[in-house]
Amino acid sequence: MLTLLEQLDKGTLWRSPGGIHPPELKSLSNQSTIASLPLQSRFVIPVPLVGQQATLSVKVGDSVLKGQPLTEGAGFIYLPVHAPTSGTVVAIEQHGSNHASSLPVLSCIIEADGLDTWCELTSSKIEQLSKADILAKIKQAGIAGMGGAAFPSHVKLNPASEIDLVIINGVECEPYISADDRLMREFSDEILTGISIIHHLLNPQRIIIAIEDNKPEAARAIESAIRRSSLPNDMIRVTVIPTKYPSGGEKQLIQIITGKEVPSGAIPAQLGIVVHNVGTAYAIQEAVLQGKPLIERVVTLTGESIGKPGNYWLRIGTTVEDALSQVSFQPESSQKVIVGGPMMGFALADLNVPILKGTNCLLTPSQAEIAPDPDEKACIRCGECAVACPALLLPQQLFWHAKAEEYDKAASFNLKDCIECGCCSYVCPSDIPLVEYYRVAKSALKNAAEEKLQAEQAKIRFETRLQRLEDEKNAREEKSKQAAAKRQANMKSGDKDAVAAAMARIAAKKAQAAEGITADPAATTPDTTTTKAAIDATSAKKTAVNAAIERAKAKKAALATQSQKDNQSDVATVTTDMPVDTIDRANDKKAQIAAAIARAKAKKAALASDSSATNDVDGVQTRDTVNEVNPAIEMDTTIAAIPVDDKKARIAAAVAKAKAKKLANSAKQEEL
Amino acid sequence: MAFKIASSPHVSTTLHTNTVMKRVALCLIPGIAVQSYYFGYGTLVQLLLAITVAYLAEAAVMKLRNRNITATLKDNSALVTASLLAVAIPPLAPWWLIVIGTLFAIVIVKQLYGGLGNNVFNPAMAAYVLLLISFPVQMTSWVAPQTLTVNYADMLHTFNSIFQLNAGYAADFFHLAIDGTTMATPLDTLKTDLSMGLTTTESMTKTIFSGSVGEGWFWVNMAYLVGGLVMLKLKVIRWHISGAIVLTLFVCASIGFLISPDTFVSPIMHLFSGGTMLAAFFIATDPVTAATSPRGRLIFGAMIGLLIYLIRTFGGYPDAVAFAVLLANMCAPFIDYYVRPRSYGHRVGN
Ligand code: SF4
Ligand code: SF4
Repeated sequence: MLTLLEQLDKGTLWRSPGGIHPPELKSLSNQSTIASLPLQSRFVIPVPLVGQQATLSVKVGDSVLKGQPLTEGAGFIYLPVHAPTSGTVVAIEQHGSNHASSLPVLSCIIEADGLDTWCELTSSKIEQLSKADILAKIKQAGIAGMGGAAFPSHVKLNPASEIDLVIINGVECEPYISADDRLMREFSDEILTGISIIHHLLNPQRIIIAIEDNKPEAARAIESAIRRSSLPNDMIRVTVIPTKYPSGGEKQLIQIITGKEVPSGAIPAQLGIVVHNVGTAYAIQEAVLQGKPLIERVVTLTGESIGKPGNYWLRIGTTVEDALSQVSFQPESSQKVIVGGPMMGFALADLNVPILKGTNCLLTPSQAEIAPDPDEKACIRCGECAVACPALLLPQQLFWHAKAEEYDKAASFNLKDCIECGCCSYVCPSDIPLVEYYRVAKSALKNAAEEKLQAEQAKIRFETRLQRLEDEKNAREEKSKQAAAKRQANMKSGDKDAVAAAMARIAAKKAQAAEGITADPAATTPDTTTTKAAIDATSAKKTAVNAAIERAKAKKAALATQSQKDNQSDVATVTTDMPVDTIDRANDKKAQIAAAIARAKAKKAALASDSSATNDVDGVQTRDTVNEVNPAIEMDTTIAAIPVDDKKARIAAAVAKAKAKKLANSAKQEEL
Repeated sequence: MAFKIASSPHVSTTLHTNTVMKRVALCLIPGIAVQSYYFGYGTLVQLLLAITVAYLAEAAVMKLRNRNITATLKDNSALVTASLLAVAIPPLAPWWLIVIGTLFAIVIVKQLYGGLGNNVFNPAMAAYVLLLISFPVQMTSWVAPQTLTVNYADMLHTFNSIFQLNAGYAADFFHLAIDGTTMATPLDTLKTDLSMGLTTTESMTKTIFSGSVGEGWFWVNMAYLVGGLVMLKLKVIRWHISGAIVLTLFVCASIGFLISPDTFVSPIMHLFSGGTMLAAFFIATDPVTAATSPRGRLIFGAMIGLLIYLIRTFGGYPDAVAFAVLLANMCAPFIDYYVRPRSYGHRVGN
């Protein structure tokens, strides 16, 4: 088993599934050297990042020099844009964009002065620069991936993880396009210098320059440039791969060169691989060594409606209209103008849009060349699309669900892994614009995801608000609780006093009865404290309840203490006494009845206590007491507000007291 | 200057659905020619009838559904359906048989399911089964091969028989049957013989087999095989379904034959008799009703091969192609659901 590096060195190729072989038609444009076009007078530079990550550094009326940055900004992926020539900023306005949607974006319109004067450029040598300096230079030059995706290059050159393999993409698999082909043939040394900068930055183990076998001249040029270059020849090589669309796709190329698949949703750097376009390598070289920003690129102008097809150096910001007018463009009726290749490019609705950093081709086919789109017919489930799909998807299933607007189901067939290469549409015998359906489905899914995100954010906002309200409420409650507790605390002491007083009374009575025990010193205070407690009780119901509960507790406590102090029958006396005390303040019959019942029970309990074991009885009594006191307390609460001195009640109470005493006495006597 | 807006890709293959369908129909020609040579002009008359009815029916349905009539007719799918049904039914079957069959295939099986691409069942085979169940006598009385009969069904005879110009249909049909113009197919004969206790070898001595798999039938199947290979070459079909059918049938038949050559039909007989090749290359490969992925198609084809063998060997019908295809059609959606390719970047353990 060879290691991957050995296999790379041998040029082993892996199979990438699917793919198609459309007519290449590159000879239309790759015959002559890259030419320059006369300087245009008007340039449109989109500044879409302004307002988000960047600010404009020029204003209307400013004169600018060629290469002068038009924006300033921070942020990791911010990229500056530059004036493509010297002149005046005549407007900063919304302008149609070079995008499938042609939605307007904020753009600087620059009127050229014809002098084409460079701003000051700082050229430098690699050896004098640190890696950070180089990255900064690349960023300041505004270099974006030139294969079409236009992703900021300095980001890819500054990966978080170790890079083992750099693939330089010279595949250019789209039909018609030959910009990279010509660039490799004519500027192989510059490209190699760019590659050595990439090498310096990433320090990979291998660098593979991948070129399709339909570009033998380019491959030869690069090979000889490798021999001339300072890079160690054993770590860099040209690997010629078979011509097949879309071998130039990043994921496909990685698969062909290494046999690895970039995991769904991941980036190649996670495999230790990065892919750069040859055009990017060229631009990096210009930026680092000469300090030139990316204001110019090679664009293939081709198609039968162009009189002088070929590759041209075009300034970024040149309008498509201007560019085409220089190459004998003769539009037919309903002429298609395609930005990019025939497989992935999009047709322009308006030609007054600028060339961008990622624009590699303008294709103007005649009707004979590319037929107008035929009508979509029924899918016959022939499965050809699935055979052609390089991402191994089931395009027909995707289509089925996308058409039915079942986007979730489409997503479950891995719609997000579709690279929109168009192979499926290309082979479809029913002329179904499959990719178009996928785009619609993808954007619908994206919108849905965004809506979901927004809904979630709204939900979070709502919940935070609820939480806040809840917190406030809790805080309020806490406050009032504290206040209540304070009151309660006040009252508790009073109540306890009352209990103590009552107990004292009982004790006194007991003393009388038993003629043995002297009154408690606390017995002097009871009157005042009980009065106070009663007044307090009238003031608030709640407090009254609390007070009652407290009382009940106190009784229990008293019981406990009493039982420790005295013997069992004493306890019975106390418990019997308590309801009586309550009834003192009540005029209700029910209360009386309850009190009577309580009394009866107390008696019974007392009797029982005499006959049975101490511990058991103690439990029963306590329970009984609590049960009976409770209703009494409730009544107490309801009527506490109107303290009545009903005669009947008093009498009843007195009778009860007497009985209790009697009972206590007898109990005592028996006990003694 | 108006610029045409369209979505990428802007190019496509020149192989369109109508071309595909047309090629399928053209590749049927060798088979039809050989079939006509051995079994008379009946097949050609049936073809004409079927195609006419199919186009009329399709046009009528399109009109009712308010669709573009010419666009639909131009996809040639009706042509293929009609042709397949026409070559599958007995050449001298009465005219109303093919008319009923074609109408059923086009109107009910295809259009009522939503038209091309949406039908679950292969229209030609569904119609065939309908006819077989409804009119078993007419559907199983195959014409005797030309070389085996003195009363060869000439032009006049054929027309008389199909259009029932003479007397009543029944009389004429059975008159033909009596004088030997029609007879059971070799597979049918063999099945009957086996059920009567004869051995395969004994049965094979009958003239209808002419020593091998049956006079005429071998060459008809050969011709369909040739047509099928041409389709493969033209990339009208892919090999998976046909290959799986032929291989499975061959393997199953070989096993049976090796175990008991006297009671099982030989693999060659299985492959080159009845509708095997027609089914393997022209019927089962109908993409609409088959599984879509390559692996799914292998399973789909193997299923048909196995079903053909099982029904022929153990079932009540002598030839099983139509049933096998319909049963597999029912399974196709499930096969598609469970046999999905692993998409790029979804490698297990990646
Ligand atoms: S466009 Fe998407 S579905 Fe179609 S072949 Fe390419 S990757 Fe597959
Ligand atoms: S290629 Fe077209 S017709 Fe064939 S299955 Fe795919 S979408 Fe359907």
